[in-house]
Amino acid sequence: MTAAPAAPTRAPSARLARISGVVAPLTGLVLVLVLAAVTTPQFYSLEVARLVMFQIGLIGIAALGQTLVLLVGGIDLSISGVMALTSVVLATYSAGSDSRLLVGVVLAVLAGLAVGLVNAGLVVLRNVPPFVATFASFVLIQGVIIAWTRGAPSGNIPDALGWLGGGRIWEIPVPLVVFAVLALVAGIALGRTTAGRRVYSTGLNREAARMSGIRTGIVIASCYILSSLAGVLAGLINSSFIGFVDAALVRSLDLDSIAAAVIGGIALTGGKGRISQTVLGVVLLAALLTWLIQLGAGGGAQLVVSGGVILLAVFLQNRGLGLLSPRARTTRATPRKGKQ
Amino acid sequence: MTNTAFRRARSRRILAAAVGFATLVAVAGCSAEQEGAGSGGGGGTGAAEDCINAEEAQATYEESWSSVAEAFGLSELTPVEEEVCEVDPETWAAEPKQGDAYRIAFAAQGPTNSWGVLSEEAFNYHAEELGVDVLYAAANGDATQQVDNIQQLASQDPDAMVVVPMGEGIAGQVQAAVSQGIPVVLCSGILPESSQAVSTVTRQYDLLGTAYAEWIAQELGGEGQVAILSGLAGVPTAEYQKAAAEATFEKYPDIEVVTTQYTEWSPTVAKTVAQNLIASYPDLDAIWSDSGYGAIGVVQAYQEAGLPVPPITGDAVNDFLLATQGTDVRYALSTFPPEMSSTCLDTAMDLLNGEPVLNKVYIDSPSFTNEEGEQYVREDCDGGLLVPTSAPEDLLVELGMCQA
Repeated sequence: MTAAPAAPTRAPSARLARISGVVAPLTGLVLVLVLAAVTTPQFYSLEVARLVMFQIGLIGIAALGQTLVLLVGGIDLSISGVMALTSVVLATYSAGSDSRLLVGVVLAVLAGLAVGLVNAGLVVLRNVPPFVATFASFVLIQGVIIAWTRGAPSGNIPDALGWLGGGRIWEIPVPLVVFAVLALVAGIALGRTTAGRRVYSTGLNREAARMSGIRTGIVIASCYILSSLAGVLAGLINSSFIGFVDAALVRSLDLDSIAAAVIGGIALTGGKGRISQTVLGVVLLAALLTWLIQLGAGGGAQLVVSGGVILLAVFLQNRGLGLLSPRARTTRATPRKGKQ
Repeated sequence: MTNTAFRRARSRRILAAAVGFATLVAVAGCSAEQEGAGSGGGGGTGAAEDCINAEEAQATYEESWSSVAEAFGLSELTPVEEEVCEVDPETWAAEPKQGDAYRIAFAAQGPTNSWGVLSEEAFNYHAEELGVDVLYAAANGDATQQVDNIQQLASQDPDAMVVVPMGEGIAGQVQAAVSQGIPVVLCSGILPESSQAVSTVTRQYDLLGTAYAEWIAQELGGEGQVAILSGLAGVPTAEYQKAAAEATFEKYPDIEVVTTQYTEWSPTVAKTVAQNLIASYPDLDAIWSDSGYGAIGVVQAYQEAGLPVPPITGDAVNDFLLATQGTDVRYALSTFPPEMSSTCLDTAMDLLNGEPVLNKVYIDSPSFTNEEGEQYVREDCDGGLLVPTSAPEDLLVELGMCQA
């Protein structure tokens, strides 16, 4: 009966860990909102609120895909590549014609699916480190786009898709609504279903998960594929936002999606974190980025802050805010299996 | 650990987190002020101690300013001080080093965007017309890659080299190539005098930045709030133009530059930035933009917000003209023509043939306002095309940029 005494100790420590994970990004969010109120009072206007909501939608969709991959211990650096590919495929096929929109979207989804399969194949079948595999995919996609378009990607996105990037439902930007629905579905799937538990088990200890009968390869592959599909959706939103192919489409969405997930508390080592934490991280990052633009900060400053916030989040993940007792922290450091 | 010690440790961690966050905010603030402040100035190659044919050379330089002033209807547009001279024609005149045809190395930007594609295709097209062999290397927009490219090209001992500079970091390699006896012509960009390039062929950044700012000042009657939308922080193409604009606006005490933002030359980023401008500066009177793509994002943001678009500037991208066709948007546009690469080749050939060449060849390309915009829009061509273009029509069709 050695396990019995551990249970009461673990429960409060787990609760404290959970609170600690939420307190840090929440504190950051409050800090940003307070600083914004002091430095840029116009931050609290409907127009800026809409901008923040749009950013939450766009970054959030990519961050959901990224969260799935992080939970199985991977990372996806090809999301912005998939976004660019989506834009080029859709514009090239449809040539701006509404009648060709549906097939164009299907082709973009197939292209994204192909990238997801390549990533999954490299990581699962060939054991290529996820960082290398997905970065190689990103470079490959860039090369394909340059070769295919002779370096001059251009063309219009069908007007019929305009609602996705520019539409509003009761003043709420459509991308935010899409993100909210997807976050809800992902949260339920991860927290309440067998598939979700398999994702956590695989991320915590792949070997143990495999020995307990989970087909970890399929679990990991599914996460990469879903991440690429999230990239396709983000690509559709971004291209419909501007209405044509943006040749300078270099949005740092890879970094943003990783930053959002990590800030929220998703562990880079896999197996730990909830969708609600990603949502919190996304809200914090979107508010921070919008505030920086309001402040007049340049692109460099925005990258510095994004990178710095990731570092800070990782630091706090490892050390916490001191909410746990040393004993509880030791307990928390012990790998837990199954329920998260 | 005792409770006191633990509390101290916790305080330290919280302090560390707070200090970390405060540092980030401070860095952001400083960066906002300092980004891009480091560049500016420079430009062009070294002026000879005895400026050859100075008067005629200077007149050619000033011509490019007066044509823009005329196009924008500016009563005053004073050229920035620049000494333009002729290169001694005897210095670089030479027969082909190998065979009968000259071999010209072309250290290109690479086909990373429509500008880059047209730049090198126009170069190759003209090289074929002249019967010149081209040694080609693409930097893909990366200065580090270009350092290697220039070394590789120089090792093949070409008769001359044309370089589209990707950054000041390549100045040392250009200098090494010149020391090796290869005349280097800089194309569509500038480097510090230390590069010792023989001639620089480009559209003058100062001219574009100043002319756009003067046009805005004239539109506003010398008073109002202006936003500056530059391209990429730290990139010379963007920074020189921005610096020229800032210097011009400083001459007008009643013009206030309320914010400076970077659009990454992306309409998507520009649109997001413009949406923020609308929220933060509802009384904005004009927007100085160095790019047509940036201007497209601005126009979309204002139109979607149901607001009149403030007077705006940028380069003449076909997409911008298509987007503003039939609207009452007031704009002033000019071009940084990619096909100037053929002039770069001509300059290199003139050097080898002992013809007179200027040390700074400032390209004069069309500039126009919204009043003439309709006549330049090309509905048969790609949105990324800079208009009007002097590139051959058959080349544009071959590249798929225009319909036959």
